[in-house]
Amino acid sequence: MTTIIPFGPQHPVFPEPISLKLEIDNDVVVGALPSLGYVHRGLEKFIDTKDYIQTMYICERICGICSGIHGITYSRAIEKLFNIEVPERAQYLRVINSELCRIHSHLLWLGLFADGFGFESLFYECWKYREGILDVLEKFTGSRVIHSMSKVGGASRDLNDEQIDHIQKALDTLEPQVKNIEKVFVNNYTVKKRCVGLGVMSKQLAYEAGTAGPTLRGSGNAIDIRDTPDYDIYRDLGFKTAVGKDGDCYSRTKVRIDEIFESIKLVRNALSKLPNGEISVPVKGSPTGEAIMRAEQPRGEVVYYVKGNGTKNLERLKVRTPTFANIPSLLLMLPGVKLADVPIIVLTIDPCVSCTER
Amino acid sequence: MGMLNLILANISSKPVTRLYPFEIRETCKEAKGRIIFNSENCILCGICQKKCPADAITVTKADKIWELNVFRCIMCTECVNGCPKNCITISCERAKTGAKEYIKILVPKVDTPKTDSPKKASSK
Ligand code: SF4
Ligand code: SF4
Repeated sequence: MTTIIPFGPQHPVFPEPISLKLEIDNDVVVGALPSLGYVHRGLEKFIDTKDYIQTMYICERICGICSGIHGITYSRAIEKLFNIEVPERAQYLRVINSELCRIHSHLLWLGLFADGFGFESLFYECWKYREGILDVLEKFTGSRVIHSMSKVGGASRDLNDEQIDHIQKALDTLEPQVKNIEKVFVNNYTVKKRCVGLGVMSKQLAYEAGTAGPTLRGSGNAIDIRDTPDYDIYRDLGFKTAVGKDGDCYSRTKVRIDEIFESIKLVRNALSKLPNGEISVPVKGSPTGEAIMRAEQPRGEVVYYVKGNGTKNLERLKVRTPTFANIPSLLLMLPGVKLADVPIIVLTIDPCVSCTER
Repeated sequence: MGMLNLILANISSKPVTRLYPFEIRETCKEAKGRIIFNSENCILCGICQKKCPADAITVTKADKIWELNVFRCIMCTECVNGCPKNCITISCERAKTGAKEYIKILVPKVDTPKTDSPKKASSK
């Protein structure tokens, strides 16, 4: 006989409220049903009252952790609508901002994950290193979390030599630190015991379920928006997709750690190749038509759809966020695991509920 | 093994945290701390109000009041870039939480020079 128990919306491992109804048979999960809607803010409707330039700031506030990339993707969508070419320097600045965001998001996740399986000192260690990146972001963009670095038509902040120097130094200190915690995540007996072979998703299943981001790549699919023709600049910087092979929690963790190193490499390359010139172009007029823009957030692929009708306000803004894409795959991972392992599996998709519900 | 090294390194090093109220972290000069309004050049054109995505600024031309609701401000700096007279700037110092002058209005009343405006009707 099975029992249905509620898991969440308030749970010690969840940073945000997501509720799962778990069907349990003797401590083993048989089925799961998600229920969303606890933090819905109606942002897509709210943009009716704001013009398309102000909407950038609303998009940035969809989520705190991926805020920079939300803003950049929205700006790119509007630029596509206007058919504007952004100056090259601004594109590089956007790459630097996105990758620094990715580093801080992954370090945050590694910390939460460590906390999820009860390894508290490792959690503190990850968050300690994250502070260094937040300092860099503060010096670069002016804020630690919501950056407002991007704007429609380019970037709002430039980098000077002193800041470049600061970023490089911070990355030089961060790299050995991440190597240290990598050793723990990869070799530690306790961590392995909790993660290896847990929440397995096969390559084919992950692809068919429409999974996104490190969850998809952890299962062996080398799919990353940064490696598509949309993003020429990443190819110039020598981007290589990080891929896992086993499709379990351990593999997803390793993909995220590899991505931190990849991001460090990208920021370094972007800084060394940073071209001179303008950082933004003026954008005038009111948008008409439709555009779709994709980007790779720390959690996976985000899609922005914008529709303008010739007025200052957009007629429609639709965002499809990575966690939303990952929830079906989460439900596929859960059957068959023990109840005690559910928090770990939920954490490995890096759920970002405020993104999902907007 | 890896964790043991980290723990030993942490035991023998200084704490990374601060004793907050006594030791306050210095912000860098690029940080967006708070809005500073200089009333001297303001022509009450209302561009900042129009540009503000958070509706934090209210400019009442008739009464010559420029008002900023600090709790609404999201530090986007649209007003700073938009102001034609450069009277809004951003300081890297953080506003002191709860200090009286920052709770509602940053600059309560502006005695703007500039132009005639002796009318007093229509303040909406
Ligand atoms: S602060 Fe600047 S933008 Fe605002 S009303 Fe005064 S002059 Fe105009
Ligand atoms: S910084 Fe942005 S939110 Fe704050 S008052 Fe200026 S325009 Fe409004």
